[in-house]
Amino acid sequence: MVLTLRSAAAGAALVLMSAAGPATALQIAGREARAVRDSLGRSVTLPERAERVLSLQPEITRIVAALGAGDRLVGVDYFILNHDHLFPIVFPGARDLPAISHTSEDINFEMVLRLDPDIIFVSPTELQMVDALQGKLKRPVVAMASMGSFDRLVEEILLVGGILGREARAAELASDFEARLAAIRGSVSEIPVEKKPRVYLSFWGALTRTPVAYEPVDAAGGVNCARGMLPANLGTIATVAQAEQILVWRPDVILVQGSYPPKERAITTEGILRDKRFGSLPAVRNGKVFYTFGFWYWWDPALVLVETLYLARLFHPEATGAVDLEKEANAIFKKYYGVDGAYTALCRTLECGAWDER
Amino acid sequence: MTVDVRALIFGYGEFRLSVPGLRFESRKVVSIVGRNGAGKSTLLKLLGGILPAPKRSVLLDGRALSELKSAERARLISYVPQELAPALNYRVIDFVLMGRASFVPTFSVPSREDRRLAEEAIRFVGLDGFEDREFSQLSSGERRLALVARTLAQSPQVFLLDEPTTFLDPKHEVEVMELCRKLAAEKGKTVIVTLHNLEMAVKYSDEMVFLKKGEVAASGPPDRVLSEALLAEVYDIPMAIVPFDGRMLILR
Amino acid sequence: MRGKKGRLIVLFFFLSPFLLMLASLSIGRYHIPPLDLGKTLVRTVSPASFPEVPPEYRDILLRIRLPRLLLALLAGAALSVSGASLQALFKNPLVNEYILGISFGAAFGAALSLVFLGKGFPPQIAAFLFALAAVLAVLVVSGRSGSHTVSLLLTGVIVSAFFQALLALVEFFANPYALQSLFFWLMGSLSLATWSDLSVSLPVMGLGTAALVLMRWRLNVLSLSEEEAAALGVNVRKEKLLIIVLTSLSTAAVTAVAGVIGWIGLIVPHLVRMMVGADNRKVVPLSAALGASVLIVADDITRVAASFEIPIGILTSLIGIPFFIFLLGRSRKVWL
Repeated sequence: MVLTLRSAAAGAALVLMSAAGPATALQIAGREARAVRDSLGRSVTLPERAERVLSLQPEITRIVAALGAGDRLVGVDYFILNHDHLFPIVFPGARDLPAISHTSEDINFEMVLRLDPDIIFVSPTELQMVDALQGKLKRPVVAMASMGSFDRLVEEILLVGGILGREARAAELASDFEARLAAIRGSVSEIPVEKKPRVYLSFWGALTRTPVAYEPVDAAGGVNCARGMLPANLGTIATVAQAEQILVWRPDVILVQGSYPPKERAITTEGILRDKRFGSLPAVRNGKVFYTFGFWYWWDPALVLVETLYLARLFHPEATGAVDLEKEANAIFKKYYGVDGAYTALCRTLECGAWDER
Repeated sequence: MTVDVRALIFGYGEFRLSVPGLRFESRKVVSIVGRNGAGKSTLLKLLGGILPAPKRSVLLDGRALSELKSAERARLISYVPQELAPALNYRVIDFVLMGRASFVPTFSVPSREDRRLAEEAIRFVGLDGFEDREFSQLSSGERRLALVARTLAQSPQVFLLDEPTTFLDPKHEVEVMELCRKLAAEKGKTVIVTLHNLEMAVKYSDEMVFLKKGEVAASGPPDRVLSEALLAEVYDIPMAIVPFDGRMLILR
Repeated sequence: MRGKKGRLIVLFFFLSPFLLMLASLSIGRYHIPPLDLGKTLVRTVSPASFPEVPPEYRDILLRIRLPRLLLALLAGAALSVSGASLQALFKNPLVNEYILGISFGAAFGAALSLVFLGKGFPPQIAAFLFALAAVLAVLVVSGRSGSHTVSLLLTGVIVSAFFQALLALVEFFANPYALQSLFFWLMGSLSLATWSDLSVSLPVMGLGTAALVLMRWRLNVLSLSEEEAAALGVNVRKEKLLIIVLTSLSTAAVTAVAGVIGWIGLIVPHLVRMMVGADNRKVVPLSAALGASVLIVADDITRVAASFEIPIGILTSLIGIPFFIFLLGRSRKVWL
């Protein structure tokens, strides 16, 4: 097929262009052509200066905004404009941005050309699309996502910071992120494995869809029941558990994705508590079924910290002490986005203030 | 059973069939002859209720065909089509058993009595021993006989057979026509057939109906109506009738 | 298939779904020792006995395994009988029970519910209604040409394509989470149905299947040409419509609670015909029995092969197709 031939040629050209072999880090000194390796292992030559940024990957979009470079965005994807309840709060300027792609397959190439971006960020889940984009548009296309990993998220913040020339801010955020994470991990580090609650996560609007890896739970001193299972689609982290399997796991806590506004939720905590199949589970018997923020097209760096804090408080209230979640969360959002009361505003939409009330 | 036709008019496209009056009586074999497109099949289908005839233009023993429900009609008169192309490879006995459809309620299966009648029909047409044979294993002639057996199992009073001898070899041709005679003579049925083979028609019919361009050119017993002039008129080519050994040979 | 041996084989066929169902109650990721299984069943009937049996056992047996198995039994029967009936009615071996637009009608209905309508209009109801709407559309549109067989099939294809396009449109505007729910629903699974879903759909499936089984001999007659069937005294239009309505109700009832489960309605009737011939008096009930068994077995495999759910449509084809190939060489001539 022509597409693959062209992209293969483009890829080969890129590899040849990237001076001395596989370059994994940036050369910040001197504005010569630098290359970076993205999540797909592709080597991408970066422009001298990335003034016009097209981000079709919500996680990157949020990072760009957190780095204070939100004014450089020329376009974003459909999800973050229309279905992300947090982003308009932390970056009000998003309203004026055009939505270029709906899903990874529906990119409007002509519009992209019209916007004339210096660099394009995409999700790494569609391999052919990434190469096709680069080949068609002749602009650097970087495919990156944390895939739910905290370490990769920090790497991403630093990488994007380097690309945009906001290295100082990136370093500041990265160290803040790691510090807060370490604090949470520290507060639960003494807890023995037997005392760690077994947690079952019902995500993506279905009772039996669950992520095989969810680091906030791990960091907050819990154990994800589905950890280590084979994902349903390779390259994603979601799998479909059997109802019986949930009973085998005997979770102590059940978490339901609460990123939808209450009236859109197909799976509700009340629904699970009333489900007679699970009446014997410790989670149901003790009423420990809660909402949580979950994945929003990977992470928002501030929100995932709030999430981890919230879960730590949920799982181990004695160890974490008296944490005023709302105050802490607003502070985190202020640090990352410079906006006041962001968490409070979010909770108005999602009613998250009431999540751990029993 | 007597079939009366009165002021039967039927048209589709540019073709128009018009039969002011005809009568078909029981214990008789009547053959309808004519050129292709003269309206033979159409007339047969109208008689059988396959095509809609004007009300009260077709009467069975005085009762209007159009007023009969399908099951009731099927028990009185049956149309046997020219082409036979079943989709599934049924066994002969299952095929013939289908003739009992008008006696079996929608949500039931045939009874032992139905089966007995089907077997009897198979014997009547000379296919005994063939009950378990699958349709694909039958020759053309045998298939035709099976079809007649199915119609027989239907137990109608009137048999309408559309070109039953097409594609059959001489032996099977004779068999089928003999069967028609048997139906009329032994069972007292009214048998109406359309034929291309004039000699067969003449030999086996009690009466003949000649159709030309949708109209009845002549009708009556063959020895009364058959003439070279009539044949030339109906078939548009000169033909000669040669009597031979008590029969009629028709030469083109 | 005659005589004593034939009768025994037939008996085996009809008993196996029930035996399989009973055996399958002991299959699942949660290991319940057979003795405890028996105790739990007894306890269900007389709650006073065996108090030491953990309550989970009862939840698992009655609320997880039993509904799923009952659904497998009836859905397998309903889909196979519908497929067999439509194949005979349309005189076409390539026909399956979804041919009149049911699969895409149902999918569109579910999509509409999951993406736009929300909790007030659950996907099961929407799927059922739109499946029937699709068939209605087919009947109305093709009715202009006198419900001729070919035009019904053709209209079915067109209506399916229409709903498929509508489905794509809904998918386009769906937020990713609703989309995920939709894809999940479309995969086809026996695990989603709850007792309240089944309390409505199982009777519909059962009655539809029973009625079609009662009409099994009628199918022989209806499989003849329309002229012949009419000449034999059958009200062709009415009875054809009846069969279409019955198959549509049964299939829509299955699709509403279990999504689209492919291959069963196509392959099982063929397998049966290859074994016993074309007579629908045998084909229809045996299809029901074999379809039920196949689906129960496929579901058993789904439940033990992995701790996650494998879409059942994959398994039904993996089971059915080798059998089909095996029988193809030794089969009798069924289609002419």
